[in-house]
Amino acid sequence: MGARGVRGALKMRQDRVLIIDDDVELCRLLRERFQPEGFTIETIHDGQAGLTRALLGHHDLVILDLMLPGMSGLDVLRNLRAHSSIPILILTARGDDVDRILGLEIGADDYLPKPFNPRELVARIRAILRRASRDAGTSSVVIVDSVRLEPSALKVWVDEAEVEVTSLEFSLLEAFMRNAGQVMTREDLTERVLGRKLGPFDRVIDVHVSNLRKKLGRYNSEELIKAVRGTGYLFVARSESK
Amino acid sequence: MSLPTRSLFLKILLWFWATIVLTAFSIILTLILQPGGVPSQWHDALIETARYAGETVVQEFEHHGTQGASDYLLERVRITHLQACLFHLDGTVILGKGCERFATTARDSRMNGKPEINLQHGLATIAVTVRGGRDDQYIYVTESPVGPRAAVARNVAAVAVRCLIALFVPGLVCYLLTRYLTAPILRLREASQQLAAGNLSTRADARMSLRRDELGLLVKDFNTMAARLEGLVDGQRQLIYDISHELRSPLTRLNVALDLGRERKGSDQAFDQMQQDLERMDQMIDRLLTLARLDAAGASVPLKSLNLTDLVADIVHSAGFELGDRPDNITMSSSEPFFVRGNAELLQSAIENVIRNAIRYNNSEEPVQVVLERVESSAKITVRDHGLGVPSEDLRRIFEPFYRVATDRDRQTGGTGLGLAIAERAIRMHGGEVYALNATPQGLEVHILLPLLISQKN
Repeated sequence: MGARGVRGALKMRQDRVLIIDDDVELCRLLRERFQPEGFTIETIHDGQAGLTRALLGHHDLVILDLMLPGMSGLDVLRNLRAHSSIPILILTARGDDVDRILGLEIGADDYLPKPFNPRELVARIRAILRRASRDAGTSSVVIVDSVRLEPSALKVWVDEAEVEVTSLEFSLLEAFMRNAGQVMTREDLTERVLGRKLGPFDRVIDVHVSNLRKKLGRYNSEELIKAVRGTGYLFVARSESK
Repeated sequence: MSLPTRSLFLKILLWFWATIVLTAFSIILTLILQPGGVPSQWHDALIETARYAGETVVQEFEHHGTQGASDYLLERVRITHLQACLFHLDGTVILGKGCERFATTARDSRMNGKPEINLQHGLATIAVTVRGGRDDQYIYVTESPVGPRAAVARNVAAVAVRCLIALFVPGLVCYLLTRYLTAPILRLREASQQLAAGNLSTRADARMSLRRDELGLLVKDFNTMAARLEGLVDGQRQLIYDISHELRSPLTRLNVALDLGRERKGSDQAFDQMQQDLERMDQMIDRLLTLARLDAAGASVPLKSLNLTDLVADIVHSAGFELGDRPDNITMSSSEPFFVRGNAELLQSAIENVIRNAIRYNNSEEPVQVVLERVESSAKITVRDHGLGVPSEDLRRIFEPFYRVATDRDRQTGGTGLGLAIAERAIRMHGGEVYALNATPQGLEVHILLPLLISQKN
């Protein structure tokens, strides 16, 4: 990766990343490693303190280790997600599927198993931040049937009722609605929303779609997003659903 | 509770029962078959009794005539259920019914001039000469019971009922006794089977250990053994898990530190080597954890029906992709789409491990062949390479963790020594089996059998 080139392109404003991980030495190494990448890194080694810090809203992204002592990573995630739509990347033990799936269901944007390659972590952070910054106030309002999407405010309405979504779910819904009536493949969705390639047995995108379906389902009895077996998903435009 | 065909239960039951029943019957039999039937010292008593009865009948006859005596005799027959007749000395019947069968005894008695006793069917027929008041002589013949067989001769049905009772009451007692003895053994067997199947939390029924006999002690010892075994195995698994888990933190730090080094000092072959070894260690830990989890999880992995053919095709496709310049060095064929019930990730990792193994050792122009076919109610995946194969005595052991064939160049080719062990456990968890054979002229064939979905079995 051409580190120098990337550094040049991201000079305008440093992205602030909060790392919540109890491994002090790892945090120090990461800070050292990420400084030249153009991130401002803050590290906290305790779940409770990390949660308080993250809730202040001073950061663009939270990296959260799920294997925290004291207040567990999942609890931090749950509390954080209850009050904030900030992008969250979770670090899980490799192969610990339960924690990973739970974390994604609670609302983490993506996950990375430990031990990770730092380059992979940088790429994930970039992908999430890129999406988050693209969402903010770039495009026009989208309306498909009863669903209204307002990119400038990152808000979603279904029949005049506001739906609380995370920024990732917002991007996902936007991708669906801008392509209403067309089948979106899982590969395509992963690249658009998570900014990376679909891996083998990668179910991250499916968990996000499922979360979004649940949220929309509370306000609308119709199934707006349908699974297309073996391919991906489809946002049903009413005119086509009949 | 299924019984083995030559079960202890049946053996004990039948032997006990047979012993009791045979003893009972032999006692009865000796009574019936007693040679003399009646001890001779009783003969006189029997004769005296008969003579006394005969004299009474004769007196009745002489005083009241045939009618009166007949009434008396019939009354007596009715009460005692014993036949009696009175004859003239010349053998003609005076009194009694059905006297023909006594005629011989009566005649013998007259000829011999002394009382006669005839034993038949446990009944004694006694003939005595009785003198009347006018010096007339009569012969009185009567029956008298002398042994158990008398009862048989009289009432066959009642005897049969008694025999049946004698047969089945001991039978019931024996049944209860035998069950009491063998049921704990069978339950203990069930528990030990469970234990052997890897269900280490199994214990024999605690109620059985309350028995104070040898079986109770055995059950107690069994449970102690099971607890100890569980503790040991759990401890070992936990250790593997903890070690692997704890190794992650330094490994993660090493990854970051190495990357920092690269950023600062530029690329260096030493860094590449470190990177490669880090990845290898990471993979090894990953697999160790998978192995520990597979051993521990048992039946708790979620299963659903999946298309095995698609799964294998995906693996073959990505394996071909990784072969780079020679993507056609692996081929696959499937006779039909196969559906199995399983966990996609585990099956994928199992089959992938087998296929990667085949690719690693296939130092030949011939491609690795992956074949799916149906064998009875299973799907069979055959993975064949054209490498050197494995010494036949090691064919089983290649599925053991960290097992390496002596001449193996595995370390140089980057194996962790855990791939096939993971494959074996994952396949077994799916109710399937995996084994290896040497192919001719050379190469290794790994066969994976997985049970098909019930809907596809026929």
